[in-house]
Amino acid sequence: MAYNVEDSQNSAPGIPTMHEAVKLAPPSRRHDTQSVTKRLQTELMQLMLSSTPGISAFPDVEGSLLNWTATITGPADTPYEKLHFKLAFNFPPNYPYSPPTVLFKTPIYHPNVDFSGRICLDILKDKWSAVYNMQGVLLSLQSLLGEPNNASPLNGQAAELWDKDPTEFKRLVLARHVELDE
Amino acid sequence: MASISDEDMATLQKLSNDYEPEVEGPLVGQRQSSHAITAQYAQADPVYVRKTAALPHTYSHYRTVRGDGNCGWRAIMFGYFEALLRLGDPMKILAEESRLKSLNNLLNAVGFQEVLYEDFVEETISLLRQTATSIPCHDNGAGLLHSFNDAGMSNAIITHFRLITSAWMKTHADTYQPFLPDKSVDEYCATSIEPYQVEIEHLGMNALIEAVINPAGMAVEILYLDRSEGNEVNSHRFELLGPDGQALHPHAPTIRLLYRPGHYDLLYKIEDIADMMAPVQVSQMPMPAVYSMSHYSGFEATPSYSHTDTAPGFAILNLSPNVQMADFPSLTGFSPTYDLPASFIDDLSPSPISPAPETLPSPPMSIPSATSMTRAQECSFRKSKYEVEPEYRRPVVHQAPCETPAMKNNGASPAHFRSEDFQPEICDPGSEYRVRGKR
Repeated sequence: MAYNVEDSQNSAPGIPTMHEAVKLAPPSRRHDTQSVTKRLQTELMQLMLSSTPGISAFPDVEGSLLNWTATITGPADTPYEKLHFKLAFNFPPNYPYSPPTVLFKTPIYHPNVDFSGRICLDILKDKWSAVYNMQGVLLSLQSLLGEPNNASPLNGQAAELWDKDPTEFKRLVLARHVELDE
Repeated sequence: MASISDEDMATLQKLSNDYEPEVEGPLVGQRQSSHAITAQYAQADPVYVRKTAALPHTYSHYRTVRGDGNCGWRAIMFGYFEALLRLGDPMKILAEESRLKSLNNLLNAVGFQEVLYEDFVEETISLLRQTATSIPCHDNGAGLLHSFNDAGMSNAIITHFRLITSAWMKTHADTYQPFLPDKSVDEYCATSIEPYQVEIEHLGMNALIEAVINPAGMAVEILYLDRSEGNEVNSHRFELLGPDGQALHPHAPTIRLLYRPGHYDLLYKIEDIADMMAPVQVSQMPMPAVYSMSHYSGFEATPSYSHTDTAPGFAILNLSPNVQMADFPSLTGFSPTYDLPASFIDDLSPSPISPAPETLPSPPMSIPSATSMTRAQECSFRKSKYEVEPEYRRPVVHQAPCETPAMKNNGASPAHFRSEDFQPEICDPGSEYRVRGKR
């Protein structure tokens, strides 16, 4: 197509054309990783400075910030009161543009969590945006324990029992719960 | 039919959720002739053929934006920065910097945490400063294009403006709620504005323009290329209107977007590109700057600058002047247009000074125009053999006169010019018929 012909032959040497300039330095993955790391460092700092009761989180290994383990405590006046739940956070390379993958490591009986620990929460899916952070996710999960979204359950039985039979619900929660060691 | 276990179902669902169509191309592409759009639709529906055939008459160039779910945002933000570069006023950019910083108050007002958004704001500010330092622009916007193709920076800027738009909508809920019959403004922002890779809709576009673009003294024009009736694309202009319904700034710099259902690209009119050259007075430039380039950059104007020798693509240059206007822009689409205004303008409007085909093929490149201009004024530089000056007179042609005896006595023989006593035949219009009759 003659319209797109770029005159690279006749360009002065040493002065990249726009096209070349783009090709020479493609958007680098390194930059992405750097910005993820920077962002996660900020979040870590923030979590440590403002210790919120009932939630905590820390990177798994020194060096890589892409995998974290977090703990939330069940809120008072809910079937999960005083129970501790461990969660695994995995951050994608384009975090915070994409949400982290979050799994319950501690077995949990809950309408919006399946038996593999997968969670159904809008802010971890289509409502995720770059202004959410770990702290926000953990607080949302903590409140999800006390206020399940029974309209779209992953565990149908739990959703049904939540309203119908709170005693049985509580029994099943405790039956499934296992305190994990550090 | 074999039953599928819940586990498999979940896996399939996950695959389906995670599926992303392959998107190709740079985040923001090179500026190119909009004839390319016409070519894309050559085999399409007649409505598209008609509309795209008419498009290049008004909008000479376009720029692709990658269709990754952010294209509307990316297109308009690129247009915003490009317009600032085009205005070429560092004070204006400084004003924009303080205005955008002050919008942090808006972000705080709706509860966004500064620690979470400050990184995005930082990228915007740093690109603004970078844009300010590249004025006067010597790299033809290559720096800006490069920055916008840096995913880290580009995405941060988009996110920043998504947040501003969201905050604007939430703080102007009365204006926007009537357009959202089935959800609240907050919910709309949470699902359609804030999440990355969710395409901008008309409502979001309105809010973005009201919050960021119009207050910057810019207008936005959206051209809708669809299957609707008519021979031309429908356009809609978003600008500040006075109480009388008339545009307050009819000549505001305009960001032009081409909308094809689900996708935005950037469009340019020829004057948008010419605008970038506005600060330079053509009259100060006696010659096309391309010649000064060959002189000052240390290499000689070689015959490769002639149209006979250039890349095959340039064969198209040897066209009659009336086609030239339409075709020439396609060749400069990729080439710098900020720096060498004089040559560009000369080329566009075939000037009496230089025959266009000779000046066209030379690659206009990043020559510091200021330097080349002042120097061009104070000293005369070596001209190309193709240069024709205004006071040009055709030189005497020294042909070898024909010396045969028959020709010597012929009145038409040029040999007579050598004789001092030679008196050329004086033309007598009245006797023309008689003279012809004799022969």
